[in-house]
This record gives sequence, structure tokens and C-alpha cells, in this order.
Amino acid sequence: MNRRLFLSSLVLAPSLAAAGGSFFIKNAKILTVTKGRVDGALLIRDGKIAAIGANLTAPADALTLDAEGGYLMPGIVDCHAHVGADAINEGTISVSSMVRIEDVLAPDDVQIYRGLAAGVTTSNVLHGSANTIGGQCSVVKMRWGKSATQMVFAGAKPGIKFALGENVKRSGGGTNFSGTLRYPATRMGVEDVVREAFNDARAYQRQRDEYQTRLAKGERVLPPRRDFKLEPLVEVLEGRRLVHAHCYRSDEILMLLRAAEEFGFRIRTLQHGLEAYKVAKEIAKHGAGVSTFADSWSYKIEAYDAIPYNAALCMKAGVLTSLNTDAPVTQQRHLLQDAAKTLRYGQLTDDEALSLITINPARQLMIEDRVGSLEVGKDADIVFTDKHPLSLYAKVRKVFIDGEVYFDREQDIRQRAERAERRKALIEKLKPAARPSQKKGAR
Amino acid sequence: MQRMLLAAALVTAALTYAEDFALRGVTVHPISAPEIPNAVLVVTGDRIAAFGPKQTIPKGHRIIEAKGLHVYPGMIDSASVLGLSEIGSVRETQDIEELGDFNPQLRTMIAFNPGSEHIPVSRASGITASLVVPSGGFIGGQAAMMHLDGWTWEEMTVAPSAAMQMRLPSQETTVTGRAFGAGRRTFAEVRRRYEEQMQQVRLFFEQARAYQARKANPALGFKPDLRLEAMMPVLAGKTPLMIVAPKERAIRDAMAFAEREKVRIVLAGVREVDPFLEELARKKIPVVLPDLYQVPLEEDASIDDPLDVPAKLAKAGVAFAFGSYNIERPRNLPFQAANAVGHGLPHETAMRALTLGAAEIWGVADRIGSLEAGKLADLILTDGDPLEPRTQIRQMWILGKPVSLENRHTRLYEQYKKRL
Amino acid sequence: MQKLLVSTVLLAAAGLAQSPVAGVLAIRGAHLHPASGPSLPNGNIVLRNGLIESIGPNVPIPPEAFVVDGAGLQVYPGLIDALSTWGLPAAPARPTAAPAPGPSPATPAVLERPIQTLDEGGPEERPSNNSWVRAADLLDPRLATLAAARNAGYTTAISFPGANVFSGQGSAYNVAGTRSRQMVIEEGVGQMITFPVRGFGGGFPGSLMGIISYIRQIFSDAAHYRSSQALYAKDPRGLPRPPYDRALDGVIASPRLLLPAGRLAEIDRMIRFGQELQQPLVLYGGAESFRGAALLAAAKVPMLVNLRWPEAERDADPFVKDSLRVLETRDLAPTGPAVLAKAGVKFAFYSGGVERPADLRKAVKKAVDAGLSKEDALKALTLYPAQIFGLDNRLGSLEPGKIANLTVIEGDLFDDRAKLKFTIIDGVKYEPAPETAPETNR
Repeated sequence: MNRRLFLSSLVLAPSLAAAGGSFFIKNAKILTVTKGRVDGALLIRDGKIAAIGANLTAPADALTLDAEGGYLMPGIVDCHAHVGADAINEGTISVSSMVRIEDVLAPDDVQIYRGLAAGVTTSNVLHGSANTIGGQCSVVKMRWGKSATQMVFAGAKPGIKFALGENVKRSGGGTNFSGTLRYPATRMGVEDVVREAFNDARAYQRQRDEYQTRLAKGERVLPPRRDFKLEPLVEVLEGRRLVHAHCYRSDEILMLLRAAEEFGFRIRTLQHGLEAYKVAKEIAKHGAGVSTFADSWSYKIEAYDAIPYNAALCMKAGVLTSLNTDAPVTQQRHLLQDAAKTLRYGQLTDDEALSLITINPARQLMIEDRVGSLEVGKDADIVFTDKHPLSLYAKVRKVFIDGEVYFDREQDIRQRAERAERRKALIEKLKPAARPSQKKGAR
Repeated sequence: MQRMLLAAALVTAALTYAEDFALRGVTVHPISAPEIPNAVLVVTGDRIAAFGPKQTIPKGHRIIEAKGLHVYPGMIDSASVLGLSEIGSVRETQDIEELGDFNPQLRTMIAFNPGSEHIPVSRASGITASLVVPSGGFIGGQAAMMHLDGWTWEEMTVAPSAAMQMRLPSQETTVTGRAFGAGRRTFAEVRRRYEEQMQQVRLFFEQARAYQARKANPALGFKPDLRLEAMMPVLAGKTPLMIVAPKERAIRDAMAFAEREKVRIVLAGVREVDPFLEELARKKIPVVLPDLYQVPLEEDASIDDPLDVPAKLAKAGVAFAFGSYNIERPRNLPFQAANAVGHGLPHETAMRALTLGAAEIWGVADRIGSLEAGKLADLILTDGDPLEPRTQIRQMWILGKPVSLENRHTRLYEQYKKRL
Repeated sequence: MQKLLVSTVLLAAAGLAQSPVAGVLAIRGAHLHPASGPSLPNGNIVLRNGLIESIGPNVPIPPEAFVVDGAGLQVYPGLIDALSTWGLPAAPARPTAAPAPGPSPATPAVLERPIQTLDEGGPEERPSNNSWVRAADLLDPRLATLAAARNAGYTTAISFPGANVFSGQGSAYNVAGTRSRQMVIEEGVGQMITFPVRGFGGGFPGSLMGIISYIRQIFSDAAHYRSSQALYAKDPRGLPRPPYDRALDGVIASPRLLLPAGRLAEIDRMIRFGQELQQPLVLYGGAESFRGAALLAAAKVPMLVNLRWPEAERDADPFVKDSLRVLETRDLAPTGPAVLAKAGVKFAFYSGGVERPADLRKAVKKAVDAGLSKEDALKALTLYPAQIFGLDNRLGSLEPGKIANLTVIEGDLFDDRAKLKFTIIDGVKYEPAPETAPETNR
């Protein structure tokens, strides 16, 4: 079975166990992203990066790997993915803030392995964009072979998905899947849904506070009913939950920023934000980040003004910018390529390009103290490639998460034939035995 | 930045009129021959006149200094819907799929919208021509090879009927898609429908052959049939059937069909190539690669699927070309080719498949696909490997005319850069 | 007296609509398998007034007893179907939603057999919630499924209404009788949850995560309802009246929660969810029990194992290759019970999706062939389901004082060719009806 198989693949060699989880990777070109390039070695100890330097010597207790002049870069962070979950959309209602991706994480989804194999070590697994206020998202590490609980990025700030534009108003236009109409049908209605929801959340917040006050005064009061729909919105109001808002057009982006400001909270990221470049100044001032596609466009009207220079322009405007996949809409295995495209579109520097898929999304998710760059003390989430990772000819050879090897290309290749063999044998074994005709002799 | 301005200036200077010119100091990548560093390439009218390390520049040719730059033939997308579609989700902008099962008489050429924003966007990556492919029913219509510059579709047509698009009846029981509409049909149901539909397809070909015979000895009052008439080049083996066949069974069906009907085929979108490598090479059946941005076909597929398909085909000696099947992605074709190189395809084979290899499959290699004296001057000038995004495409010529690399995206970029 | 009893039993066995009377019945010299202890190769068992009176190698046979010669017979506690629909009316076919996205090699098959409930939609603001509905109230003694169950050697079913999120309360009942009220052993043994994923149409909740959050809200509301009622009951004066809510009443009244779990990921997920809800938990499905046994053992959560082992679709497309994972689940699912037994997990078998009750013993044998000991297999059909549903003081083993439910086989229970001799239900003997052609007209 997959899980077992890949579990065993985590162990590179028997000597790894003896190494006590310490790795010394030498002869590497180390792209730290935040602190330039170091040609030398990197030491992993207890799941963390213990040292980076040109002239490090290997500790006796560490297992030494020779990178043979290959590259090390930080594990890729995808700020927007729909992988590793058994459900994506609760599309029946316009406000589904009560649903949680964490409830349906599926660690056996092969997309996790595929993303991992492309160097993605952290994903923000988001609710879909079927409704204005979607569900609660879950930041996970791509720890393939582990359980749902073990995948969760402990300590990551909770988040929630919002969505604007065509997707959420589609159900109001008579073209939805069930044939029923669902408010809203216009961008005006979308704003209304957001404002109504936070109006409700405020009232709920007051009701809760009032109960506490009356209880403190010794009054006999019935406790208010807990509302799992409104609680996450109260958390947003109180700055305890990050808002990741799917959006396309500049008008709706501006609308959302202003609606949030009206209720006193901030949008953490504008997801996709294909027209963010048109209102980059306003976005920067609000303090939102933008997590966009590399070059997708024209698949719908609201994507007609999408340009591959969006990331470059947003960055230039001082907006915290990242590239995402929306996987499986686009694939995590193309994130490096997506970053490389900004070398052409906007002529970003290598570090700028890499930051779009490493430190910047880490900052957007507020996990930059743990991941997103190769720095001493950070989690040893490391991607090892044979060529410069922004070359399309590069291949990911190994991926470390927390200092453990979770992907090893050579191992993967070796196991292909074995898996095919096992599959063949099982198909043979499970073939239904030729049944004697039941009708035979019966009358 | 300065470079870009320079390029822009070149373009604006040249846009208004075509003139004879020569690139000097350039590395020439003819594709049909080894590269020549520090050479001169001469373009006269719409043709490549000559090139070589010591090539003299004839009088009246403007000299363009191109030291350190590279000139390649323009790249060819072997399966797109450019000009037939503008916005994916808006039906009114789609002219790809006609109603009906057999429409060989339909021609993409005449529905090719020269004003589509997708054309200049695709050019910016170095694509100068595309096979524009219809779909729908079993025979979708005629795929045309179109230049990506010109005022009218007439001017832009390289070959009006380079292939006849076809899709054999499907036997898929599973409608895939994780999000919506995933479902299953029973295999018995699928088989029944498949047999019925295959019967229709055979019947159509029989009708076409009968028509061919009638036409050879026309009786009095013989009336041309536009649909069947369109099949004549196919039956004569002049125009290949371009059969979309991603999976094993579809590929098998397509090859069996070609055998029985004695027609020439090109397989498109092939994914499960492993069982057919030897046969494809032996029968000289060319292949249009699938969109390499697709996900692995099944849960157990390798993480390299389908990125390793081109390398497998190349190793087996199968002729192939790259196709985007799309309006958004022609510009990513060189990047897809680079992915294939990353997965074992020799770089020069990738470049060939994007240029001369494609031209050969579509019967236009006498005019486009390589840098040879007498061929049309479809050129790109780059500052490096055209497959790597790090490289900038600096200049483009189609039919010897400088073509703007500006497009909707660069315009919006320049416009909103001012607002920062 | 004796004659009278005989004729009564015969009448009952013939299925005639006359109330059978349980008198005194003894089986002499049979191979007894009490399930609660070691088997007795040559023992007697005496039943009186529907209960087991005595069992042992040499227990005396009362003179008034109707005696069955046990030579060559194996006597087991009556088999229990731990999650059944026998005796409940079938629902008219309802349009099925698009299949849940994601890999699901092992969705519990019980979901595919929705059965009727009193109130399809649930009360206002509590969609897909029939928590107060009891299977006992839907039980129809005339249904042919009950006779089929007896023919397969079963004496007791634990059945659950409907395929709503809150499907209602399961009831344990014997599968023979003329009046449902006499058949019922316990009317409320647990609340069954199903996950009817409907997609975008049909209202909230439409997705798996919507359903989970809905359940979470319902349990929170139930706790709130209870505390509000308590506060109000103490002194109603000055307080708003808590509204009556039968959906919450049903949840509160349920002694345990049944959650579906096939894949390992689902087993893990549902264990954690049950713990979050602080409910006594039973999982059902269990196709990947062989992977999830350690989790179940650590959490001390029992598993009801579906006897419809995962298999290839009958009309499968030969070109669609099942994934290695699906194939492995298919191959190893029958080893699940042995793995559960070894891990110390309490488990019971249920008929779930097996279409013909007669195939159930074959299905059990598959687990035995895959390494499950016959002792454990027997317990999973008798004592364990009784224990899981808190019925073991009445059912599940051959012990004095327990309900006289017996399954008697000419040969070994796990030899699927061995013939069922008869069942005894509430002390009444039922001969298996001969195989009959299905009814053609009515």
C-alpha cells in the first residue's frame, strides 16, 4: 500500500537511523532566499537547520550527504491549494464559516505526494470558492505517510476563505448545479453578504459579552447558544483568524478592503487577485498580501485583464506577494516554473522570484519564523535540486521536512517497477474465480 | 530595461513597412543543420536569402547588430484553438465545436479571428504559427496551419487543411474530475453505445468511398456533396486524420481504424504510449504530445507522467510535435518543451519538435520550420535558450516582417506601472 | 402438554400467524459453543419460557421438556446482525448525489441502502435529522427479510432507521414474532450518523465537512438545550422558555454514537471526532480495519465490520486499472477482523450490503480463512455485538438467564456448506424454510 511504501521510503538508508536525525549536506549551492547564496554545507539537527556555512566541518554523529554541486533551497510554500482533503466546497449556502478543512484532511491523497515531489513542503489547504464566506482553512506540512493530525502545521494561525466575483454569484444567476437560486447574484450582493455576516458577528460578540457581564453581576441568565458559524467571524473581528479572499477584479478587491476596514479588520491575503496590479497602492496601504497565478488568464471574463506581470507589479508596489497553484487547478509541480516565469515577466531577480514561493507565502501565513528560508534555527524544510531550481531543466532530488527525507527521487524511481509488479500480482489474485453457471441443472 | 527599449524601438521603426535586412553577429540555429556562431543571416522580402559565418550583406539590406543574440525559426504550436476562442467560460466567444457528428467540411481557417488578443500574447513566447484545431462529434473539421501575424485570415493561412480532426467513439466509463460531474456509466452501456457509434463512423467512411467512386465516373445529374467532398483528400492519403487518443484503448482503436480504412493518421494527446512505442515508430505514425501541464493519469501513475512521454517517444524514434490544446497556453509551449528536456528529452529534439518536426508532420516543411535559404522568414531573436523563461524573446519576424511583441499584457503592464 | 408444544412450534416454523408459545425445550448431547467460555463437546442446554435455564455437560433435562437430540449438532448463541435493516421497510429509490470526491475505496455500503423514515427532512432548522425516530417503531414483523435472516441463522438484528445525517435510534429486536413490541429487546441502542453528501443542491449540509460541522453544532445545541432546561426547571420565573426540540431530545437520549469509517483516514478522523463530541463511540464500515486497528485499540473504540467485503464492480471496465491502494484494500479487508482481534479491538460483523443473508456465512468464512480464529468469529457474531450495544446481560452467549436465542447447525458454523438445522428465538424453534422461488405476482 502507498502509505506503507512511502513510509519506508522515508528511510534513505539504514545508516540514517544511526545518524539520530542529523544530516550534513556538503558541496551544495545554498539559496537561502533571505541571506543570499552560500556555497558550502548545511547541517540539520533535531529537525532544524543548525548551521549553514562555506567552511563547516561535518560533525561525527551526522550522516553526510554530498550534494555534488547541486542546489538547496527552502521548502516551497503554497498559499492556496485544495489538496489532501476529502471535501472542498460547502456550496449550499453563502456563509459556510462553520466548516473546517481540518475536519476532512485526507493524508492518503496522492496529490500530497506529488506536491512534495515537486518541493512543496507546506500548503495552505483552503475551502473552495463557491460562496462568499467559505470555510476554515488548514495549513499543513506535506508529511506524506503521516496521519491527518500529524500533517497539521502546529502553531500556524487559523484562517478562513472568502470568495468574491463570478464563482460566488454564479449560483444566483440560474446557472448553478442544482437549479436553485442562491443570493447573491451580483457583486453588490457579495458585498452585502460580507457586511451582513460581520454585522451578525458583531451582534453575537455583544450578546456573548453581555452574558458574561450579567453573569458576573450574579444575574440568572440562560447562556447564549454557541454559534459555530459566527465564532470564526468574531475571531476575524478580533484579529485571531486570517482572511484569505479569492478575488479577481480590482473593484471587488477594493470593495473587500473597505468592507473589512468598516468592521475594523484586515484582509491577510487576496487570493488570485488577478487585477491586484490595478489597485496595488490601495492593497499595500491596507496591508493585504497578494497570492496570485503566474500566467493564467482568459478562462473567464473576470480573468481577461489578468497579466503575468501581476506579481512583479504588486511586489514593486510594496505588496507582500506570492504565487499559488489552486491545485489541482494548476499543479504544485509547476510552482518552481511559475516562479521562473517572473524572470521573464517583470524581470525579477532570482531571489525575488524564489521569495514568491518561499518566504513571502510563509509571511502571508505568518509562519515565517519557522519556514520559508534557509536560516539557522528554522525548520529543516529543504529542497535539493540537481540544477538551479529556476531552470526548467532542474529536477527535485530530495525533499526534507523537519529534517526528515520525505521524498527521494532515486527511491521513487526504484519503486515504480516494484509497485507495478505488485499491482499486477494483485489484479491476478483478485480476479473473480470463474463461477459455474448457477442455472445449471436448475429448473 | 534598456534592452527592452531598444527592442521596442526596433519594432516601431520597422512596423510600418517591411524591408530587407540582415542580422549580423548572431548565432544561427537552423535546426536542419548545426548552429553557426557569429554569423550573418540575410532576409530578402519574405524569404531567408542566405546565412553563414562569412555571408556578405547585399545592398539595400538594413543591418541589425545582433552580437550575442540567437536566431531560431519561429516555433509552431501543433494543436491550439487560437482565434477560435476568446474567453473560456463565455460560450459566445467559442467557435470550436460545431453540432453534429461528421463535419469534415468545416474549416477553422475562416473562423480564425485575426483580432484575438491571444495571438499577440502567444507570439511573445516565440510562437509564429499554430495548427488551429476544431473539435466536436467524431469528425470536427479541418485544422489549418495559421501564421500568427496578418491583417486577415487569408493572409495568415499557411495551409488551409493540414489535418482532419477526428475523435473515435469513447469507451470511457468514468467521467473524471474531482470537483463536479464525476460519475460512472456501466461498461455494458458504454460498450453498446460504442458499437453503435463505431458503426456510424464506418458507415460514414463507406459513404465517402462510395462518393469517391461515383465522383470518378459521374452519372448524369451528379451533385457534389460538400461533406463527402471534404473527405476526398483524407481518402487519397493527402490529408492526415488527426485523431485524439489519450489512453491505451483509444490509441489501439485509432491505429486499427487507420489500418482498416487505409488512411494516414496523426495521433494527438497520447498519454499511455508505453505499449505502442515500437509500433508507432515502425508505422511512422506521428504524434502530437498531450498538454504536458496535465496531472498524472491515475493515482499510481509516476510523478513524471506525462512529462516523460516526449523522451520515450524520442528514444523509440517516433516523430512528434508539441501542442497546447488551448488558448491560454500556446505561450507555455517552450516551457513545456523544457520540462520534457528536464525529463530526458534531448534539447535539440525538443527544438526540432517545436519547429521543423512540426512542419514536417503538417506538410509545410517546404516553407517553415527551419532556417534554410528560400524558406519563409519566420524568425525569433533571443538572448538565450528560447525554452527557458530566464531568456527574453527580443524580436520576431513573420514572412520577413518585423512583428510586434506587444500584447494585451504588456500594454496593461505599461499602463498600470504608471500608477504605482 | 408436550404435544401441544410441538404443534405450536411446528405452526410457528411454518410461519402461520399464530402466536408461538415458548415452553420448555432441551437439546441433549450437542456440541455447545457458549461464546462466553470454552465449548462443551457433549452437553445439554435447557430453555424455559424463552430464557436459558441451564447449560452444562450433565445438567438434568426436566421431564416436561420437549427434547431435541443434539447428536451431530453444533449449538451457538443466536447470531446478531450488528447493523441491520432487516424488518424495516425499504425506502423508494431516491436520486443519488454525485459520489463524494476523493479516494474512497471503502465507503460503508449501508449508505447505499437508504430506508424510510418518518420525516425525510427533519424538523425546521434541523435538516436531515430524525434523531428521535426509533427503528423499533418502524419494525414490520411481516417483512420477508426477517424470515430470510432466520434462514441464514440469525436471531437478532440491531437496526437503524434512514440515511439522514442523524438517522435515528437503533433498536435491537429478535427476527421472529408476530408483534413488533414483543420482538424488541431494546428500543434505543445508539444514534446512527450517515454522510449523505449531496453536493450543491438540496441545502445545507451538502458536503462531508458541512455534515461534520453540522453534527458539531447539533451536539453543542444539545448541551445548551440541556443546561437551559435544567436552569429553567429549577425555577422558570423570569426566564425565557427554552423551545421544545425533539431533534435535540433524540440526540440526548442516544446512549452512543455510530459513525461511518472505511479508510484509515476516516477511522482516524471519526475517532477524533467522537472524542471531541465526548460521546461513547462505535464505528461502522471498517474496510481498512487492517490498517486502523492500532488507532481503534488505543482509543478503545469498537468497530462494526461490514461483511460486504470491498470488491471490483461487477460491470467493471477492463481498461480501468484500479489503484494499488484500492487493490490492497480489496485484498486485505478480510484480514481486518483478525488484525482487530489481535490488537484487542472489540468488533462485530454486520450484514451491511450483503444482498442475500445466505451469503453472510460465506463472508464470515472469508475472515476466518484470512486468519480470524473461529472463537473470535463467533464472538463477533454474538457476544461482541451484545457487549458493544450494552445487551450482553441479555444476549450474546449461552448462559443461564439470558434470552433463549440459539443457532443450531449440522456441522461447523464456519463451514459454509454445513446446513442450518434450526434457530431458536425467544425459546421458540424455527426450522429454516426451504429455498423458494421469489414471488412473481401479488
